[in-house]
Amino acid sequence: MYEEPYRWVEAVGNRRQYLDEQFKQGSPVVALSYADGILLLTVSRGTPKLYEIYDRLGLGGMGHPADLEKLRFSLLEMAHVEGFNRSPSDVTGARLLKNGLAPIIKQAFEEIYKAPFIVKILLAEVGFKPEKDTFLTINYDGTFEETAGWAVVAATPAVEQDMSAYLKHETGLVSASLPRAVGSALQAWAVGSLAQQRAEAEEDHDATQSDHQQPSPSTPDTAALFAHLRETVAEKTVECAVMERGAPGPSKYRALKADELGRLLPSEMKG
Amino acid sequence: MQGDFLQLLKEQGYQLGTSASVRDGQELTSGTTILAMKYRDGVLVAGDRRATAGNMVMYDRTDKVLELDRHSVLAIAGVPATAYEMVRVLEHSFKYYRRTQLQELSFEGKLRAVSKLLKDNVAAALAGTGAVVPIFAGYDLDQGTAKIFFYDILGAEFEGVEYAVSGSGSPTIRGILHYLNSWGAQPLGELSEEDAVIQALRLLTCAAEFDSATGGVNREANLYPVVKFITKAGVRVAPETTLKPLFDAKVSRHV
Repeated sequence: MYEEPYRWVEAVGNRRQYLDEQFKQGSPVVALSYADGILLLTVSRGTPKLYEIYDRLGLGGMGHPADLEKLRFSLLEMAHVEGFNRSPSDVTGARLLKNGLAPIIKQAFEEIYKAPFIVKILLAEVGFKPEKDTFLTINYDGTFEETAGWAVVAATPAVEQDMSAYLKHETGLVSASLPRAVGSALQAWAVGSLAQQRAEAEEDHDATQSDHQQPSPSTPDTAALFAHLRETVAEKTVECAVMERGAPGPSKYRALKADELGRLLPSEMKG
Repeated sequence: MQGDFLQLLKEQGYQLGTSASVRDGQELTSGTTILAMKYRDGVLVAGDRRATAGNMVMYDRTDKVLELDRHSVLAIAGVPATAYEMVRVLEHSFKYYRRTQLQELSFEGKLRAVSKLLKDNVAAALAGTGAVVPIFAGYDLDQGTAKIFFYDILGAEFEGVEYAVSGSGSPTIRGILHYLNSWGAQPLGELSEEDAVIQALRLLTCAAEFDSATGGVNREANLYPVVKFITKAGVRVAPETTLKPLFDAKVSRHV
């Protein structure tokens, strides 16, 4: 029955709805350039969501852990075989994501008899120079985007916009110290998390009203953000990794351990 | 099994030593001297810098002590092409394992990986086109000790308790190391970093004295052996600024 074109379009549409539903409870991921390199941050419950892919590549993901594992392995395999056969400098996030990952994800999404990947992935690549830092994000349907300075993934594009707007407002991030970068990333995460909660609440409220408006444009103030952070962190853990340009050896990725992260968290979080 | 990079390469048609059908029993000399010895903080690994082909000196600035990851090195004697390839495979194997399995490959696991590569390479080694006799040295973080292992060309691994040597210049210094460790002022494992460097420079100079394929120190060219330390903090290279004064003060006056 899906052979008929309009049925197929309908099926893909259903798929989008189904997938959007899956991400509602997910935790956003933030990545940004700061003075010494790149910071990746999310708040997770149990399963980690930040991973090392290659010497200068880090990954942050949302979605189903099993799907994320599968795609993480694909990325690792591609990156290491390429790094061995050519050279580590030929392994770039753009090539991996655009030529490697995107076709796999898109195909799974459109093959409507099979299960799609329930994932949104963020790849961050620390460059030899700050201006060469690259951020790539890919959606569950295989559409990808390349940005500079920072990148986020969250439940919906609207939420991602809110987070981006927040980060855009944070001037001088590029030259920020690590503690400041952690603070900004946490607040951006809180902006996203709150926006997701709000969107869900609104949906529950006026489920009958089909054309409800965008989430209120006014971003919550700092106090509200930290209140939300304190609340969530009580039952979840902040997960954070850095890729420092000046780190010794070829591998730049380093997950921050609990004690180091504890020192970096802004004082408002502890209160 | 997941996390095996060599297996992944093989699935893609990769083969390490191509078993070239060269005359049986052809002897290809490995012109080199490498040594590893324990000292107070960990293990010191050193090697001369000459690469030879028969009687020819190919290159006088080779680095034969290659870092596999932050806590292990492979010092190589034998056919450089195969040795470098092995190092590249190992480097990627350890990285791949760590990143896929989200834990460091154990020290024993690393040793096995070296053995496996040497075993895969036996055909080429026997044909005379790819014999490699390496020393593996590293810091075992789980046990908190430095360890040294040496191999034969077939891949058998042996633990060198206090020191290990390999290459054409090694017979000359093997006895000296035994002597130093047994009857020297203090056993090798108690030497300070500076004393260990002095001994290593003397030993390599000695090897160069009696082995034409081992490069000595060339002071005009500011060319010193490669000396690396592996301690709990990781692999560290001794800079020329450390080697030069020690050589001038403690080694050259006797030559």
